[in-house]
Amino acid sequence: MSKTITLNHITKIEGHASLNLKIEKGKVQVCELSSTEGARYFEGILLQKRFFEAHEISSRICGICSCAHTICASMAIEDALNMNVSEQTVHLRELITLGERIRSHATHLYFLALPDYLGYESALSMLPKYKTAIVRAIKMTKIGNIMIRVIGGRDLHPVSNTIGGFLKLPSNDSLKKLKADLKSIKPDADATVKLFLSLKQRNFDRKVDYMSLTNPNKYAILTGTLKSETSNFDKKDFHDHINEYRAPYNTANFLVKDGNPVRVGALARFNNNSSQLSKDARSFLKKSGLKLPNYNPFNNNLAQAIELVHCIDYSIKLLNSMEIVPETISRLRQIPTKAGHGIGAIEVPRGTLWHEYSIDDKGIITAANIITPTVQNLKAMEDDIRNYVPLVLDMPKDKVVIEIEKLIRSYDPCFSCSTHFLKVNWK
Amino acid sequence: MAKNKMTKKSTAKIKIHKHIMAKTNQKKNPKKNKLKVAFFGITGCAGCQLSFLFTDEDVIDLLDKIDVVNFPFIKEKAKSKSYDITFMEGLVADEQDLKTLKEVRKNSKILIALGACAHTGCVPAYRRFTSLENFEHLLFKKKKELADLNPGPISEHVAVDFTIPGCPPDKEEIKYFIKQFYLGKDPRNYEDPVCIECRKNGNECLLDIGKPCLGPITRGGCNAVCINGGFECWGCRGPTKDANMEVMIKLLLEKGHSREFIIERMRIFVGTKHDALEKYLKELKGEAKT
Repeated sequence: MSKTITLNHITKIEGHASLNLKIEKGKVQVCELSSTEGARYFEGILLQKRFFEAHEISSRICGICSCAHTICASMAIEDALNMNVSEQTVHLRELITLGERIRSHATHLYFLALPDYLGYESALSMLPKYKTAIVRAIKMTKIGNIMIRVIGGRDLHPVSNTIGGFLKLPSNDSLKKLKADLKSIKPDADATVKLFLSLKQRNFDRKVDYMSLTNPNKYAILTGTLKSETSNFDKKDFHDHINEYRAPYNTANFLVKDGNPVRVGALARFNNNSSQLSKDARSFLKKSGLKLPNYNPFNNNLAQAIELVHCIDYSIKLLNSMEIVPETISRLRQIPTKAGHGIGAIEVPRGTLWHEYSIDDKGIITAANIITPTVQNLKAMEDDIRNYVPLVLDMPKDKVVIEIEKLIRSYDPCFSCSTHFLKVNWK
Repeated sequence: MAKNKMTKKSTAKIKIHKHIMAKTNQKKNPKKNKLKVAFFGITGCAGCQLSFLFTDEDVIDLLDKIDVVNFPFIKEKAKSKSYDITFMEGLVADEQDLKTLKEVRKNSKILIALGACAHTGCVPAYRRFTSLENFEHLLFKKKKELADLNPGPISEHVAVDFTIPGCPPDKEEIKYFIKQFYLGKDPRNYEDPVCIECRKNGNECLLDIGKPCLGPITRGGCNAVCINGGFECWGCRGPTKDANMEVMIKLLLEKGHSREFIIERMRIFVGTKHDALEKYLKELKGEAKT
C-alpha cells in the first residue's frame, strides 16, 4: 500500500511552507519539507547600505521577531566597529528581547499550537468554549507589546534601539508601570504552564544535538558562547562549526553543525541552561517531570510555557534594579568608521539568531549574512517527520496530517525568516 | 515591465459599497449577515497580520462583528472561497504570489492592501534598485511556479479598493477600517504629512538637527511614532498627494547628506510608488555622476 501526502501551504505557522511525503509499505520513501516563501534577497538589499541602516532594514525580515533582528544586527555592527555599549543599553535590549519572547510564545502556544491539542481548527473557533484561555493569551501578548513599545518606541519594527545605544530612553515612571503590568500577567503564565502540562504529549524521543547560547552568569539572552552536547564555541568561530547547504527542492537552506543537524529553541535552552531559570520556572520544571536533556521535539511547547514564567520573573528582576540615567547617544552619522567584520548571536524566541556583516572604511556594508533559528531547525524537523510518520501510519490519513502538523508546529517555525540564500552553482 | 508601471483602479467601488451597505443594514439577523472577512499574506513578514491580532482585547470585539472565514496564519484553510472584504499583506515577489493574489482578488468584493509591502513593495521591492551583482550570489534555481518576478506592490497587478499604509500598519487604522465597514461606511485615509502629528506631540524637529527625516513628504496617520521614539521618518506610509520632492531633496542636500544617500533613503520604502520622485532622483543621479 502506498500513500502520498502533500501539504501545500501548511497553516498556523509563520510564513509559507509545504511538505511532500511518499510512503510505501509503511516506509517513508520521500520526505521533503520546503519553504515556499517568495525570495526577498535581504542580504543583497543590505549590501552597499550604510552601517547604521543594517538594523532598520533587517528588522523587516520578520514581524514576529523584528526586535530580534534589530538588536542582533546592531550588536553585529557594534562588533564590527569594536564599539562598546553601556550596561543600561544591554539591560534595555534584554527587556525588549524578553518582551518579544513573551508575546511570541503566547501567540504560538495559544493561536498556533493549542488548537491541535484541543481538537479545534483555530483559536477563533475555540473562543466560545475557551474564552478565558484566549483572553489570557491576549493579556500576555499585550504586555509583551507594551514592553517593546515602552522601550523600543513601537511594538513591531521598534525604532529607538540603534547602533551604540538608544535614541530615546524610557522614563522611570513608564518602567515602574511596566513592572506592575508584568506582575499582573504572572498568574496567566502560571496557568499556561498548567494547561500545557495537562495536555497529553506523544513520546517521540529522537536524539539530535541541541545548541543555544550559554552564559555562566545568567540564563543567556544576548551574550555567551554557543553550547551543545558536543561542543562549546565562541561566536567568532562559527564558520568552523556551522555549514549551510541547499537541498535541490528547497527555497531555504539546511544547516549542519559539525556535519550534523541541530535543534535550537526553548527546549535547547532548557537542555543547556535550565539551572539558571527563575525559581518559579525551576519549580514548574521539576513538577513537569521533564527529564533533561530532552530529545522529544513536542516538549518544546512545554519549555516555551515555562520560559514565559522565567521571562516575566527575570524582567521584573531587571526592572527592580533599574534606574534610567541620561545618556547621550552620539550623533551616529558622525561615528568615525573603519573597516571591520562583526558577528551577532543572540537567543530569540525560536532559537539562536545570527547576523554577520563586513563594512569598509567608509561604513558601507560589503557583506551580509543572516542565519535564523528556523534554518537551523529545518534539517532536524525534516528528519523528525521521516521518523515520526511510521509511528502514526495506522491512523486515518487526515489524522496523520494533523500529527505531522503538530510536530512541525512544535518547532514554532518561521518561514518568512528562513528564506536565506546560499551561493549555489547551477547551470 | 511596462505592465508593472501601470496602477489599476477599481471601477466597481460604488457598486461594492452598496452591497456592503445592504449587507450591514440588515439588522434582522446580524449574526447571519456578518461580513465575511479574509486575511492573506503573500511574500512578507507577517507583521501586518500580527497588527490585527495584536489589537489586544479589541480583537475579541472585532471578531464578534465580523466573520473571519480565512486566515491561514492562524486558521485551517477555509472551504468557502468568497469574501466580502480581504486584507492582503505582502508584495508580489514571485509567480506563486501573483497566482494567489489574482485568485483572492477574484473571490473578494473588496480588496485592501494591508501594510507597506502590499502598498508600495516596501524594503523587499528595493531589489528593483539593487544591481544584480549585489544579489547574484543569492540566486538559485527554482521551480517554475516559484520563479522570481520584478518585486512590487499588489496594485501593479490587480485592482485595489483601499490601502492601509505603513510598515507596520497602524493598529488603530485597522480597527477603524473594520468598524467603518461594519457600519456600512467608506473608510478614509489620513492625508496630511507626518509633521502635523509630530508637531502636535511636541517633538524636536529632526531635520533641524540634521537628520534625514522624510516627515514633510510622508503621509501621516501614524502619530509620528518613529519620531516619538527618536528615529527619523523613512516614509513608510508613502508620499502625500502634494509632496514636494524637489524641495525635500534640496533640503536634505543642504543638511549635508550625500546624493547617493538621499536617493537610497527616498527609495527604500516608496521607490515603486512615485513617478515624480523617480524623475527627481534621476536628475540627482545625473548630477552625482558628473
